[in-house]
Amino acid sequence: MTSCPCCSDRSFDECCGPILAGAPAPSAEALMRSRYTAFVRHDLDHVERTHAPEIREDFNRAEAERVADECDWQRLEVLRATEDGDAGMVEFLIHFRRDGLDMRHHERGVFRREDGNWLYVSGEVNPKGEPRRVVKVGRNEPCPCGSGKKYKTCCGA
Amino acid sequence: MEPRFSCTACGKCCHGWLPLTLKDAVAHAGRFPLAMVWTPVRSNAKSYDLATRLGQTVRLPNRKTVAVLVQPTAYLPPSYPCPELRADNLCGIHADKPSRCRTMPFYPYRDEKDQADLLIPRKGWQCDVSAAAPVVYSNHAILDRADFDRERGELLEQAPVMRTYVDYILKYMPWTLNDLAKMAAKPTGGNLVTSLSSFLTATRRPDAKALAAAQAPLMHALAERTRNDPALVDYHRSYSGWAKEMDSLARRP
Repeated sequence: MTSCPCCSDRSFDECCGPILAGAPAPSAEALMRSRYTAFVRHDLDHVERTHAPEIREDFNRAEAERVADECDWQRLEVLRATEDGDAGMVEFLIHFRRDGLDMRHHERGVFRREDGNWLYVSGEVNPKGEPRRVVKVGRNEPCPCGSGKKYKTCCGA
Repeated sequence: MEPRFSCTACGKCCHGWLPLTLKDAVAHAGRFPLAMVWTPVRSNAKSYDLATRLGQTVRLPNRKTVAVLVQPTAYLPPSYPCPELRADNLCGIHADKPSRCRTMPFYPYRDEKDQADLLIPRKGWQCDVSAAAPVVYSNHAILDRADFDRERGELLEQAPVMRTYVDYILKYMPWTLNDLAKMAAKPTGGNLVTSLSSFLTATRRPDAKALAAAQAPLMHALAERTRNDPALVDYHRSYSGWAKEMDSLARRP
């Protein structure tokens, strides 16, 4: 039994293996993991066919093959994965070595399910956290602490 | 005093990077190893307005705007002569040499009125600027302007393609924007180099496979030639990687 390169602690045959062989990925996260595994195994056909149609022609296959070849893939970390119907988001961190340097790729990927197949749509590299919102409380508004008093006579005094 | 200039065929300018028009890059793809060289032009630069017409206008993270020029370039180390430079220092393809070589020492990425300093020979160059040489530039105008105009015309014509390419790179390699910002912040500027494969992909060139087949042997040869030169480690890494990319593109169905 070979353990799956995607670091799922499962065997390749029970994890990314069938997806690379063409079975539909059960979730956006499973698809993302299988695309990482495809890079590790130099199976760029899988990466190419799991792109959403609108970005398929933008895929620089030649460069992807070079990257697969030159990188020593060390570890995949899925930081967060959410799904809402046919829309999915997976935030991940890939640890690898290239040209003798330890590198990390941090991305928040957007996925979409089409005809039962999950596809990669886009990614934000080094994503920013949710924007922090600062709300100014007026002096005469109810105090945000919930006391029922005006802000100016409560916490804002 | 009106600047005088005459080429003495010393061959010094026939070394290193040679920025080509897209048309020349394609025509000479079997001759020169190609890469895409990026130059940010700051909004306070003399050539900024022209650069916005030849390239893409980009807003940096610090909210400053720069014009980005992308030049398809014969990408050779500064110490390497042009592969067509003959032993007698003359050009082996004189009759159909690239626009860039014809227009020298003028440079159509800059305004015509801003060319005077280009007529001063650079260190080690043996250009004739004595009274024996003809006047070539007068009242901030180029006297024999045919080559300059042709090269400028090709640059204007290719500008939409270059904008498409800049947009593609900034979408798929967003960290490029930070690199541009760093270079724009330095008084000396700087360059960024991207691969021909990314350009061929972004612009959907139908002749991508043929161009890659022409490039592959050049990249392999240069990877080999730079292998053991400690001063050219970065060049070696680029050529080796691009050789793989060109092999892969040439193989595509």
